[in-house]
Amino acid sequence: MESTSGISPLDEARGELLREASIESEASGREKAQEESGSARSLLVFFLGSEGFAVDLAYVRKVLRPSRIARVSGAAPEVLGLMNCQGEVLCVLDLRRILSPGKETAPPAAPDGKFIIVVQHGGKEAGFLVDAVRDVAELPASSVHPVLDSIDPSRARLFEGTVASGGRFVGLLSPSACLNP
Amino acid sequence: MTTGSLDLLLVDDGAALRGYDCRDVVRVEEVAGELGGYLVRLGRLGSPREVACREILGSVALSARGIRPVPEVLRERIPGEKPWAVGLTEREIYLLY
Repeated sequence: MESTSGISPLDEARGELLREASIESEASGREKAQEESGSARSLLVFFLGSEGFAVDLAYVRKVLRPSRIARVSGAAPEVLGLMNCQGEVLCVLDLRRILSPGKETAPPAAPDGKFIIVVQHGGKEAGFLVDAVRDVAELPASSVHPVLDSIDPSRARLFEGTVASGGRFVGLLSPSACLNP
Repeated sequence: MTTGSLDLLLVDDGAALRGYDCRDVVRVEEVAGELGGYLVRLGRLGSPREVACREILGSVALSARGIRPVPEVLRERIPGEKPWAVGLTEREIYLLY
């Protein structure tokens, strides 16, 4: 059973355990990351509602405030439209819809007060609309755990793994899976 | 068409703006009835087709600088007729068909 935030009690319990573990690991996280600089990963942590996510900073070109987004007719529901991004045409996608494809009847997200994370991978680029951007977490690569079993398989393909950040589990997005329909 | 620019018929399909090469336009007809709108008949440059739209915004000259490729991420997410480019001006962004 899932809570309204989409986090199951099992996830919450696991998150609690990780929170304790992560206090210590985060305290020394930067030192460890420096020690293991060859395998350290910089992750951009962001939120959709109360749910946290991360994406590897290596794939992030920039983070923007949305400006005017021109709608596109006949496109998939996750397409919010096109934005003039400093003279470049940027396709803006609604990450919430990508992560919850069953909710396609919901109205498109309003971009006001939000952020667009521009992600580039494999020659493709798109802006993902998110609610809030928190910070950049420096973590050793070994801190990326497998995707939680409790996540629906159709959604699990969108994640590279799970990491503990700020005392909670956040899903580490797979840029490739999110960019490809 | 003048050097370095493309003359477009700009229409509002009710959800978004679309641009059509003026040279491809055969005729524009007003649709009678409750919903109204217009029917743009195309096909001077290729196969005949019709496009229904809510409003005709007029013709605009789009400079070559304003013609951009369709982002791959968008192209893959348009199941029907694919646009061939994006028109980008200081005020507007629209797809070209």
